[in-house]
Amino acid sequence: MKIRPRCGCRMLPVLALCLAPGMAAGGQSAKDIVRQSLQALYYPGKDMRVRVNMKLVNSAGKSRLREMTLLRKNIPPGGDQRFFVYFHTPADVKGMTFMVWKYLDKQDDRWIYIPAIHLVRRIAASDKRSSFIGSDFTYEDLSGRDPDDEDHRLMPEGVVSGRACHVVESHPHTKVDYVRRVSWIDKTWWLPLKEEYFDARGVKVRVFTADKVQRIGGHWTVTRRTMRNEQTGHHTEVVFTKVAYDVGFTLEVFTEQSLRRPPSQWTDSQ
Amino acid sequence: MAFNVVSYSMDRPRSTVLLLVLITLGLGLQFPRIHIDTDPENMLESHQPDRETYRRAKKDFGIRDMLVVGIVDERGVFRPETLIRVKKVIDRILEIPGVITDDVISLTTTNNVTSAGGMLQIRRVMDSLPATQTEADAIQQAINANPLLEEKLSSRDGKGIAIYVPISQKDQAHRIGAAIESIAHTELQPQQKLYLAGLPIAEDTFGVEMFLQMALVAPLTGFAILALLWILFRKLTYILPAMGVALFSVVWSQGLLIGLGFTVHIMSSMIPVFLMPIAVLDAVHILSEFYDRYPRMGDKYATMKQTMEVLFRPMLYTSLTTAVGFASLVFAPIPPVQVFGVFIAFGIMAAWLLTITLIPAWTMLIREEQFAKSFGKLRENRGLLAAILPPFGRLVLQRRGTVMLCAGLLFGLGIYGVTLIKVNDNPVNWFAKNHRLRIADREMNRLFGGTYMAYLLVEGKRKGDIKRPEVMRYLWQLQQVATRDPAVGRTSSVADIVAQVGSVLHDSDPKRRQIPRDAAELSQYLMLFQMSGEPGDLANFVDYDYRLANIWVQMKRGDNREMTRVERVVGDYTRRHPLPSGVTVRWSGLTYINMVWQHLMVIGMRNSVLGGALVVFVLMIILFRSIVIGFVSMLPLSFAIVLSYGLVGLVGRDYDMPIAVCSSLAIGLAVDFAIHFLQRYRAQLSVNPDRVAANDYMFSEPGRAITRNALVVILGFLPLLISNLTPYKTVGLFFALLMTISVIVTLAMLPGIAWYMGHRQARSNNGQGPPSDKEPEGVER
Repeated sequence: MKIRPRCGCRMLPVLALCLAPGMAAGGQSAKDIVRQSLQALYYPGKDMRVRVNMKLVNSAGKSRLREMTLLRKNIPPGGDQRFFVYFHTPADVKGMTFMVWKYLDKQDDRWIYIPAIHLVRRIAASDKRSSFIGSDFTYEDLSGRDPDDEDHRLMPEGVVSGRACHVVESHPHTKVDYVRRVSWIDKTWWLPLKEEYFDARGVKVRVFTADKVQRIGGHWTVTRRTMRNEQTGHHTEVVFTKVAYDVGFTLEVFTEQSLRRPPSQWTDSQ
Repeated sequence: MAFNVVSYSMDRPRSTVLLLVLITLGLGLQFPRIHIDTDPENMLESHQPDRETYRRAKKDFGIRDMLVVGIVDERGVFRPETLIRVKKVIDRILEIPGVITDDVISLTTTNNVTSAGGMLQIRRVMDSLPATQTEADAIQQAINANPLLEEKLSSRDGKGIAIYVPISQKDQAHRIGAAIESIAHTELQPQQKLYLAGLPIAEDTFGVEMFLQMALVAPLTGFAILALLWILFRKLTYILPAMGVALFSVVWSQGLLIGLGFTVHIMSSMIPVFLMPIAVLDAVHILSEFYDRYPRMGDKYATMKQTMEVLFRPMLYTSLTTAVGFASLVFAPIPPVQVFGVFIAFGIMAAWLLTITLIPAWTMLIREEQFAKSFGKLRENRGLLAAILPPFGRLVLQRRGTVMLCAGLLFGLGIYGVTLIKVNDNPVNWFAKNHRLRIADREMNRLFGGTYMAYLLVEGKRKGDIKRPEVMRYLWQLQQVATRDPAVGRTSSVADIVAQVGSVLHDSDPKRRQIPRDAAELSQYLMLFQMSGEPGDLANFVDYDYRLANIWVQMKRGDNREMTRVERVVGDYTRRHPLPSGVTVRWSGLTYINMVWQHLMVIGMRNSVLGGALVVFVLMIILFRSIVIGFVSMLPLSFAIVLSYGLVGLVGRDYDMPIAVCSSLAIGLAVDFAIHFLQRYRAQLSVNPDRVAANDYMFSEPGRAITRNALVVILGFLPLLISNLTPYKTVGLFFALLMTISVIVTLAMLPGIAWYMGHRQARSNNGQGPPSDKEPEGVER
């Protein structure tokens, strides 16, 4: 199905009155909803393989395209994850690889491989809110934000593209690039269909939309999403193709050796 | 025909005055629609190629309107307690509505990529507040070690830091600037100075100043003229219509300008100040003439009728020549100058129409007894001019040979001076030297890489051309060439970024700061840079297709001369070292745009002066029906222009826009003196062929009228000198100089020349001159 973002939530005052404050229909708190949504968006399956088409579009409408294969593996228990990115295009960067070890309780470890000079470099970054490979998405948008880092409050339910949504307002505890986020979370898929980020001035600075949702391997998956920077007019569209869950790749995929020699059976690299 | 207008005004004074007042009110109603234009780009026509290039470059490279904030502390900014304050200022700037927070460049919002031990560190330049002096020093060192940041985020000596604040709307600059100033006021200590620079601020401030100047200088000019007229005529009732002519013509031309949708630019804001002194000149003639005749005739209607008959033709011609002089500004391909010229020309013709209608009509409304009562006073009051002029007239006639010789020598010196003229302008210098914007400009350019932006646009044929290693290397070399010029503070381009990535990847080895030879390596460096930054990081330097690149050339001085030299240096290099195939280079950016319109102006002004002079010459031939007299009548203005501009060259003053514009004004006004002189001299000769007597006569009433007129114009322009804006001052002073020279040349040279001509005329002319030759006044005196 295709979901087109429609203007905001419709107030359902009668329904809202029936609910205990802060509690959704199923007795869930706002934080529970956010937690469930995180699982649905970032953790489905034991692992995932996907072909990512990323289109960066500037305010003048010019775009840059990147195509890559993304491998993700969950490390249970807890929420740690490993990511492996292999670049197919642009042609002159083909073979660049990128790896993230994501930890819930500390900064990520990241590595990059520059094939032209056969060089692997570890990257120490202090900020999960920084751009993911130069796109409008942040690393956190790729891997999720710990629900305990924010205060969540349930708002009156809303509708996005005809689908009933929980609406949650979240305020980060520590100062980041936004001070308020409003998420529209689908009541049955648990996927966020829209998120709006506001800065301290009350200005809407970024908007996330899930533009297309498909059921793949038993998991509802956002296969087309957009993050738009409302201030600069820049936006990034991401399309997932060839989505596969529980592919079964091992942890050896996520090592420095495979940065240099990508596991071609998973990355479609020759 | 046209004279019927005069008769009508005298026969129906009330309805004439009412009609003129109504027209004035109608045009005055346009005033609230005023739209001030301070965009320096508008000095070029909208479709001028350089302007279109600049417009495209701004779009291609996402160049935004930006305020540049400097915080300077002579004890050094990089100290823990100072950086706390700096961080607070930045945090609060990010809270100002209208600021594009994502693109703010500062210590806490910009990333630095460093490396050590095989590890790349990507973090804000000032990730957290330093607790110790050592940590604070480390931040400064990190900035100085990164060519992409040094002299951009902080000065090399660490005494200043800069914050670059892009804004969403240019017209918000004033509000945002004020907000930043109030933040600095609360957050900074007294010894920490805040400087605000950047084009939007300058434009905005200039607009405000212009409004102030218009509201202050224009009324002052009005008062100065009123005072002068009062000294000359001593009766408010009589000089009121002259003031009416001045005010109404200002309202007409300015109202029409605004009503037709033209914007008010620095030049057109001076229209009232220019128009008022010029507008009253004809009125001064009428009043002089009227009060000379009235005692003899004793009838206001008959006196006015005769006065108008005598003056109608000279007034028409002096107005026409002045209007032509201004209208010749349309030959300068600079829209604000064209608008200025055309609307002043319109205003002068409006003043002429008002003079021949309002003044006769008004005079008819004054009771006859009033004139009888006051005229006696006027005759006695001849004063200083009457004492000085006659001996001066005899002297210049006796020593005419010496006068000619001196004039010739001066003219030669003037020509020499003209050859020395340096064409130069810098719109920042339009503010007075001690203006806070000028101070900010000086300080910021002392500390940072340069606030004057020029762009070297590199254009490839195909997508990806910029990523070719030889193209990238050429960019890199162009930067080195430009940087060698003393006016260039720093340059930056995508090549810098590539070289910096190369260095950082190899543990910050400065030897590895170079452009890779391998195309894939180069592309991967660029990808790495993008992956470690934000989406907009490369946007200012290269387009999304890698077909266009932009080398930012930051200059510490914005004078056109400096830009011209940098352009030549780079041009020499590209000629000696051919560009890689399929790649072209061209200049853009505001500093370059300023240079372009300067050059256009020099050529345009030459055409304008020559064109204007030619038309005036033709008018003079028609007026005098003699090519020789037409030629002679052009002498005072030729001298005035050559001597004044020679002086500009000799004293080394820059030839800038205000100076250039004055030349056209001189044409129209300087010839007026000659017209009056020659017209009257010839009329006198036709009555009495005695040339000595004619000369004596010329230095009585006509000489006084000419001198009085010169005084009105010169003093009328002097209020411009109190202005805060240098173009106003320049025009006021330079114009006074031009007029002074014109009147001196008219009074010193023309008697000698007229002597020789009179010799000819005595033989050839049997009184078949133009009708005004037969004016009776000469006989009666």
